[in-house]
Amino acid sequence: LRCLWLVSGYLPESEFYKIEAILRYNVQIGLGVMQGLLELGIRGVTVSDVRGFGSQGGSTERHEGSEFSEDTFITKVKMEIVVCKEQVEAVVDKIIEKARTGEIGDGKIFLIPVSDVIRIRTGERGKQAERMTGGLSDRLSSVVSIS
Amino acid sequence: MLLTKPHLSNSFLPSARRSNPAPSSSHVKPLPVSAPPRRGLRISATSAEAPAAPTAAAAAAALSRVDVLSEALPFIQRFKGKTVVVKYGGAAMKSPELQSSVIRDLVLLSCVGLRPVLVHGGGPEINSWLLRVGVEPQFRNGLRVTDALTMEVVEMVLVGKVNKHLVSLINLAGGTAVGLCGKDARLITARPSPNAAALGFVGEVARVDATVLHPIIASGHIPVIATVAADETGQAYNINADTAAGEIAAAVGAEKLLLLTDVSGILADRNDPGSLVKEIDIAGVRQMVADGKVAGGMIPKVECCVRALAQGVHTASIIDGRVPHSLLLEILTDEESVEVHQ
Repeated sequence: LRCLWLVSGYLPESEFYKIEAILRYNVQIGLGVMQGLLELGIRGVTVSDVRGFGSQGGSTERHEGSEFSEDTFITKVKMEIVVCKEQVEAVVDKIIEKARTGEIGDGKIFLIPVSDVIRIRTGERGKQAERMTGGLSDRLSSVVSIS
Repeated sequence: MLLTKPHLSNSFLPSARRSNPAPSSSHVKPLPVSAPPRRGLRISATSAEAPAAPTAAAAAAALSRVDVLSEALPFIQRFKGKTVVVKYGGAAMKSPELQSSVIRDLVLLSCVGLRPVLVHGGGPEINSWLLRVGVEPQFRNGLRVTDALTMEVVEMVLVGKVNKHLVSLINLAGGTAVGLCGKDARLITARPSPNAAALGFVGEVARVDATVLHPIIASGHIPVIATVAADETGQAYNINADTAAGEIAAAVGAEKLLLLTDVSGILADRNDPGSLVKEIDIAGVRQMVADGKVAGGMIPKVECCVRALAQGVHTASIIDGRVPHSLLLEILTDEESVEVHQ
């Protein structure tokens, strides 16, 4: 793990960021990413089935044996995770580690600043709402000594 | 019709069972004391020659056979109903013994519930027929130069001879095979490969339409695919069988891709023949290629495996085709050649 308690330095600055990953529609890879995130202590993820294309200057992406370029949408998976700014790098690195194949079509990750997080059940806001029991924040706070 | 079935107890030790005493029946023969006791009494509707008493060796062989079958059960259950694409080439195709071993393995896999698809190459046959037609085979950097006449011969030999020969062997072994090439039902649409200017009608896979394979596989037949395909204008191209097998595996949603080759695999340490890599993930194998640990001829096969995995095939394996029953060893046991997974 890198030094997660240092300020990550993204702009615009925010307490929280949403990590939006567009990944291959590949069950094995999806499960691998989820397992990696769970190991990391991420306890909340939203997944949706989407379609998309993103061409790379004429190179084609292979999907089910056939080549595709700009004009066709291919099935993809979108994964959305909201975390504190200190956890962003670890999550991004983990997604890349599990989802990279080296072939065109591996996908992209977007970082979006999030103004606030509210838990519906209790009304908590901010860091209280983002924190999940037994998650990465709990693990980190047992490691980091606040001087 | 059997009234009593031979009963196998869990310990596989034949317990002494009381056969129905029927002194007047000519089917029950007194057994020599040294042989293991008979498992049961088989009564059939019509009279037949009473079988000779089983020798100890035959009985032991039978026990070991059912032992092995029983051990294979978890693998059979795991892969039952799953599609497996096998690329067949190299020595396994040239030697009649290895050939019949692969064919029998395919039929066995089909019988236990897997759905095999066979993709084949056929280099050596092409050369001999080119000579018969009076054309000298030409190669550039190890790759065949395929001009118009050569392409005609390639198509005839691969689709007409090699393909149908394999179909026939599978039929003889008890399976039923259907022979196809890329042109059939537009299974594969080709496009010229980047070095087509120098090498002629050598193609890459532009599109795979596996629609025609589904009813064939569903009805229990084994598709046998020759990797000759046409482009949008109908011009025939020869496509590398490893590459085509990988894309077909991706298109049918195969569980496994198996490439039969003439090498035992990749060595983690080239000076240590015992350091054969058995299992590796995509990142690991890419690192090995970058480190120069993968021999030249293996690199395209490894890349084909990675492409197949990226497109959803669960495991891609490179198997030593010179080992008899290599297919069965790979699928129905924990013994692996090189298996690449995500």
